[in-house]
Formats: sequence, C-alpha cells, structure tokens
Amino acid sequence: MPTAAPASFESLFTALAGSAFGVAVRFTNNRADAEDLVQDAALLAFRAFDSFEPGTNFKAWFFRILTNCYFSRRRREKSRPATADLDDTPDLYLYARSAENGFPTAGPDPAAQLLDTLGTERVAAAIARLPDEYRVVSTLYFMEDFSYEEIGRVLDCPVGTVRSRLHRGRKMLQKSLWQVAEESGIVAGSAGGVT
Amino acid sequence: MSEPLDRMTCESAFRRLDDYLDRQLSPEEMRLVEEHLHICEACTREFTFEASVIAGVRRKLQSIPAPPDLLARIAARLRPNQD
Repeated sequence: MPTAAPASFESLFTALAGSAFGVAVRFTNNRADAEDLVQDAALLAFRAFDSFEPGTNFKAWFFRILTNCYFSRRRREKSRPATADLDDTPDLYLYARSAENGFPTAGPDPAAQLLDTLGTERVAAAIARLPDEYRVVSTLYFMEDFSYEEIGRVLDCPVGTVRSRLHRGRKMLQKSLWQVAEESGIVAGSAGGVT
Repeated sequence: MSEPLDRMTCESAFRRLDDYLDRQLSPEEMRLVEEHLHICEACTREFTFEASVIAGVRRKLQSIPAPPDLLARIAARLRPNQD
C-alpha cells in the first residue's frame, strides 16, 4: 500500500484548520496559546499521518491529537485556574432562574433573550469555568456539532461516558451562565433560592 | 432506557430529554416522547427551553476567525519534516 503523501495531509488539514483554531481558543481561552496548540497538533498529526486510515474520519482523528496535546499541556501547568462550584446543579436550572427573574420561558426560542444579552464573550467565559473534562466535551459538542460517537473517538472513551459528561456539563454550563449574568449585572444576584 | 413503554409519563420523558434533543433515541422512543410532548404543555415548555439554550450557546460560540497567516506558519513548521 503506498504511503500517504504529505500533500494529502495538507489538503485535509487546511479544510479544518479554522475550526481547530476555534476549538483551541475555547480550550485555552487565549488566542496565542490556541495558535501554539494548533501548530503543535498539526506537527504531531503530520508525523503520525501514516497511521491515519484514508477514508476514515480525519476530523475526529485530528481533533483527538489536538485534544491530547491540550491535556498534555494542562498536565504540565503548575497552577490551574480554580473552577467555580458547579457540582450538583439541579435540572432545568436556567429555566427556573429565567422564570424567577422575568426572562422568557416560552415561545419559539425562549433562551435567546438571555443568551443574546450575555453575548459571545460572556457565554465563552461561562464555558471556561467548567472543569476540564466537562469543558472539553462541551466545546466539541457546542462548537463542532460532533455526534456522541465522534466525541467518543476524539476522547477515546465510550459513548456512555460522553453522554454522562455532556449531561452533567450542560447542567454545569447553565449554572455558570447564570453566575456570569449575575456578575455582569445582567440579572440580580441571588440571596438564596436555587443554588 | 430499556423498560417497555407504551405511553410516557413526564418523568420518563424528562429522563430522555438530552437524548431526545440529540436524536440519540430509537425511532420508537422518539415517537413516544413526541406523543407525550403533544399532550403535555409543561414538558413542551421545558424541552423547548432546553433546545433553545443549546441552539443559543452554539450560535454564540461558533465562528472564531483564525489568524490569516496561521496556515502559512504551520506550513513553515511542517516544511523541515517533509524532507
């Protein structure tokens, strides 16, 4: 079987470089670090391209390398930013909080008003507060529309693990979004109630 | 998710919320959830809200433009490996 030519790697990589950079920005929360991460992943992927099976999912294959690079960097970091206390977020957290605070809970796109008011940077800040394993799976899900199976291939874990992490990550994200909205003065701070 | 069902309660429908929104249920379970949503206004509101959160977060997070010279810089790093 002939060895895959470097030109093939470049054409496959070029098609997804933009989305790889976007995901890397959400992983690292920093454009310069994201560019380094994508460059490192591209170099590793290029060197390992012989192990890629033509006709299979190059995007999932590359994002697996990108994600492993990211986790490797994280392990080397001495200090990590503290993540907010998002454990045990109740179901329908944002729905309940929106109802309590006069944001829409009905209509064709009821969460749009809150999310539009928050804007891209605050939504990204809310994602950034999630613990790593939930942030990564949520980023792949929200940014790339990967299926559960594809995320499982990227993270090398069973679909059931993807499902449970996504379920928990979504709940954490709802609480995180509300915390960001409170801190930004978009909604009043809580003095109790749903935590 | 494997218990036999011919009609869903609010609780059993809610347990399937994420899988329903991500179309991870079997066709039969999708149909049963939809049947429940057809008759239950409260669940419909909750499901619609959750779908709206997912769609809204997706809209906000997508499209981060890459630096225009990103590909050129990566190509420069790959070049010594191509020999």
